[in-house]
Amino acid sequence: MEFHDNYPVYETMYQHGEEDGKKVRKKLWRVFWILLGITLLELFVGFNATKWGLTGGMFLKVFFIFFTIAKAAGIVLVFMHLIDETKFFRYVILAPYSVFIIYLIFIILVEGTYTGYPENNTNLEFGYKQQQVDKRTEHGQPMPESLKHIKPSPGVKAHGGHAEEGGGEHHE
Amino acid sequence: MAHAIEFDQKKAWQGGESPFRMSYGKIFMWFFLVSDALTFSGLLCAYGFIRHKYSGVWPVAENVFTHFPFVKAHVPLAYVGLMTFILIMSSVTMVLAVEAGHRNYRKGVVIWLFLTIIGGLMFVGSQAWEWWHFIEGTSEGALRKVWDIDQGKYVEKTIYGANMLVNEYGVPQFANFFFFITGFHGFHVFSGVVINCVIFINVLIGTYERRGHYEMIEKVGLYWHFVDLVWVFVFTFFYLL
Repeated sequence: MEFHDNYPVYETMYQHGEEDGKKVRKKLWRVFWILLGITLLELFVGFNATKWGLTGGMFLKVFFIFFTIAKAAGIVLVFMHLIDETKFFRYVILAPYSVFIIYLIFIILVEGTYTGYPENNTNLEFGYKQQQVDKRTEHGQPMPESLKHIKPSPGVKAHGGHAEEGGGEHHE
Repeated sequence: MAHAIEFDQKKAWQGGESPFRMSYGKIFMWFFLVSDALTFSGLLCAYGFIRHKYSGVWPVAENVFTHFPFVKAHVPLAYVGLMTFILIMSSVTMVLAVEAGHRNYRKGVVIWLFLTIIGGLMFVGSQAWEWWHFIEGTSEGALRKVWDIDQGKYVEKTIYGANMLVNEYGVPQFANFFFFITGFHGFHVFSGVVINCVIFINVLIGTYERRGHYEMIEKVGLYWHFVDLVWVFVFTFFYLL
């Protein structure tokens, strides 16, 4: 289990005395207060989002994602000591994070809204509260001709309106 | 303080020393964390797709998570905020334990690691309460079509709370994703607490004093911070967006 390279033992590389320890601890507590402040800000906006009419809009998405990434950067760089590591290693860790995670978030939000004909969501006939009824596509375009042939499920009104109950049996 | 450890690029990969200037154990803890992060991001992407597919009927989180233990009030997202605070606090105590380990200050490590374990247990307990309240439901309930075995067809019924098939808050996937993602994360927190306990016992019996360094605290600290990091993302995507 003890494997030692030519380099002096890596495990003791970050050891420091009481002096440096004080400085390190001050930095840690400062980052903690910043993280707490950001969380409270996010909660404040989340709390009042319905009241301010922001729900579902782009502002909320950008706002929350920006501050989440800020918090994540704080935790990874400072608490996990990544900023103290070799530059090359920082790239080893952060490049997959940036490519796969941040880009994935972006592409999900952009591409994840293709739902086709909303009335065909069979869940609508199970009586869920509908917050918005839209007979257009998610991008606000009129329904394309190629999709207009899709009939709504039984018990769902074709153009807007609320789902009617009593649509008979639903076979899975 | 930042050690900007630069190294000679030509010689770094020639062998005999670690090109990352890091011990083998720490490197592989980092690699494990990257792979686990990709697992969680896969789950969150699946959540994002389904959530936006049903964005018309997906419940708004502020209206669902409005409870707080022992308080009969409508306080949206307050409990989740408390859970986030607990986890961030436990992350801070963890990094302070790591820092005490860097000074070979055993008493500090014991104190801060113990507080981290307490924080972790509080978080798991809070998550359990959240699940219980979610499953129990509100007093209003909701009208849903439920498959009745005896009659052999769907019937309208007012149901309360949530299970794997129907829930009173919205589409079934809402509850399914809630249970899966928060449960998977809670499992990570729980395993982190267990690992922390093992390392805590090792600190108490002096294994690391004998070894001469407290790097194990650092490695376990990396895992704990990862758990906090994932919670930050889950909290944003599930409760805020």
